[in-house]
Amino acid sequence: MNIIELSNVTKTFGSVVAVNDLTLSVPKGSIYGFIGPNGSGKTTTIRMIMKITYPDSGSLRIDGKELNGQRPGSIGYLPEERGLYKKMKLGELLQFHGELNNGKDLKRRIDYWLNLLDLTEFKDKKVETLSKGMKQKLQFIATILHKPEIIILDEPFSGLDPVNADIMKDVILDLQKEGSTIIFSTHDMGMAEKMCDYIFMIYRGAKVLDGTLSHIQDQYGNDTIRIQSDMGVEALEDLTGIEKINNFGKLQEIRVSSGTDPQKILSEVLKKTRITRFEITKPSLNDIFIRIASPERKEAHHE
Amino acid sequence: MNKILTLFKREYRAAVRTKSFIISLVLVPLLMGGGLLAVFIMEKNQDTDDKRIVVIDHSGLMADRLKEALDLRNQQDIYDQESGEKVRPAYIVEFIAPDITDKMSQQSALSERVKNAELHAFIEIGPDVLHPSGTSGGYLKYYSEHSFMDNVRDWFRNTINGHLQQLRVAELNLDEEQSADLFTWINIEGMGLVTVDKKTGEQQEAEKVSELQSFMVPYIIVLMMFMLVMMSSVPLLTAVMEEKTEKIAEVLLGTITPFQFMAGKVLGGIGISLTTAAIYVTAGIVTARMTGFGSVIPYDILPWFFIFIIFFIIMVGSGMAALGATCNDNKDAQSIQFPAMLPVILPLFLIMPVIQNPSGTLATTLSFIPPFTPSIMMIRLATPVTVPLWQPIVGLVGVILFTIFTVWVGARIFRTAILIQGQKPSVANLFKYAFKS
Repeated sequence: MNIIELSNVTKTFGSVVAVNDLTLSVPKGSIYGFIGPNGSGKTTTIRMIMKITYPDSGSLRIDGKELNGQRPGSIGYLPEERGLYKKMKLGELLQFHGELNNGKDLKRRIDYWLNLLDLTEFKDKKVETLSKGMKQKLQFIATILHKPEIIILDEPFSGLDPVNADIMKDVILDLQKEGSTIIFSTHDMGMAEKMCDYIFMIYRGAKVLDGTLSHIQDQYGNDTIRIQSDMGVEALEDLTGIEKINNFGKLQEIRVSSGTDPQKILSEVLKKTRITRFEITKPSLNDIFIRIASPERKEAHHE
Repeated sequence: MNKILTLFKREYRAAVRTKSFIISLVLVPLLMGGGLLAVFIMEKNQDTDDKRIVVIDHSGLMADRLKEALDLRNQQDIYDQESGEKVRPAYIVEFIAPDITDKMSQQSALSERVKNAELHAFIEIGPDVLHPSGTSGGYLKYYSEHSFMDNVRDWFRNTINGHLQQLRVAELNLDEEQSADLFTWINIEGMGLVTVDKKTGEQQEAEKVSELQSFMVPYIIVLMMFMLVMMSSVPLLTAVMEEKTEKIAEVLLGTITPFQFMAGKVLGGIGISLTTAAIYVTAGIVTARMTGFGSVIPYDILPWFFIFIIFFIIMVGSGMAALGATCNDNKDAQSIQFPAMLPVILPLFLIMPVIQNPSGTLATTLSFIPPFTPSIMMIRLATPVTVPLWQPIVGLVGVILFTIFTVWVGARIFRTAILIQGQKPSVANLFKYAFKS
């Protein structure tokens, strides 16, 4: 069953088409990753789901309802840019957000979450005394305090150190286990690959990817080789059949041209140097993202 | 509604807990009271340094009379009769003969003495002061560094004119009895109207109208209204602007509608001003009663005051919140704040003409123009003049309708502008947000 359904949704701002004829279904209980370059329409799509802004055309249903002019009931929203009242104390701020969202058993839940995210000692401190990462965690608590069925997180990991990012990841997975549907937008492709049941990519207002990771990767086939050799990137010079080399220093990721046999590349490199790793694989999400949104593609788009 | 109340509670608590609120709550009456206290202290502590004055009498009529009057004043008026304490300066006068050949040099030398603080002033009495009509010599001139609002000048004017009147009467050969009342000046007393007690039918004598009642009461009421709006509504502009720029608005708009957001904030403003008003009104009543001015408190118009202030705050507050939503930074807010405050400030310039003629065309017309109605109608109601009951009622209906319109337009601007970045709060944009979005 789909908890969020967008059908042919279009949103324009003046002459700019922010979202163009978008159709998307988010199954209940899933983690749905929204990816796309900056300014591609992710936030506009999220704002439309939140009913903060309305589509010019198309329909948008949450739990089967259109909700014109109303706020969706059980939904938590962490916007990309954090916004907290600086002069409020943490406890008061969470109580305020909990009450606004009709949360129950707020006192106990505030203490529980502050403890879990290591903020208990700051409960009576003002928000302005917190570091950026702490504010991030606080805003996250405000988002999920009322146990929403749908949780929308715009860049939830930005500004977090690896320890806190890991805690946040575990919390998100726990919330999914408890039955929440989670949409999160991110520029961290690794996190999206590992966490999301479905991935949706929007580019220039239009949907360009939608499905499970393996479904998306299947569209591109096994056209990627990861190679490690003693010569490094120099070993790949003057080779034919290579469309693009992504050099990570110790490892190179090659996109082979269609019709090229990877075995041919293997044998040619072997003639030059010793190979320590050779892997024929599907492209990573990061690579797919770059293929779609790279400057070359943009130019092609303009033409 | 619960969400509006939650937001209202936050706004109210956030405002009343701030130091600036507590300071302004205490400071404003202190400053106002302090002003009155300063006047009182100034009156008590008058300058008692003796004043030296030179008189050049071209008429030759005044010297003896002035000497007599000065002796009398210096004996009777400068010391407090009971304590013997010096309360006023003595006037020490030097009479010098006019220099007819070089008048300017004489005046110049005397001016130097004034500049050197040897003299307080010098006075020239024209040659024809007794019968000035048709002559150029019927003048009295007072030369000093501060001739405006000078007690010395007033004393000489009164004394010289009093003597001139006596001389003119003497020329008519009237006896003292006949001339006794010749210059008696009777003040006209300001009275209210005779009223009839509705229950007993008994006629009640008209009451004397005091300056305090006719001037100070409306003045204080309109100033209080201004202050309450300044405290509660005007800060909404910067508060909303900050919530927009700091992205708090976007977080809240995920949970509440723009209308709920604006309503919560404006209600917070009402709460703040009603708290302040309740404190000031109670303190004002207690102070007035304790100091014997209890009778000037216009209890009958207090309900009007509270009704009008509530709608005034909603009207201005929703406008300010909407304008705040259109601003992107402090510069935008500063540029828009003054024009937005004009409907609140303008009535302050109209206090005097409205108090002077509360039933005149200007006052009556203005009191029916909604942005001005709360202030102008309250000034009119606070004066001793009877304003027909239908007028505040019609005024209030106008205010309510205009407030609904302001809230509607404000909400439309607010909901569009709060998420738009980088657009200036121009008139064209405001119009677009209000009517085209």
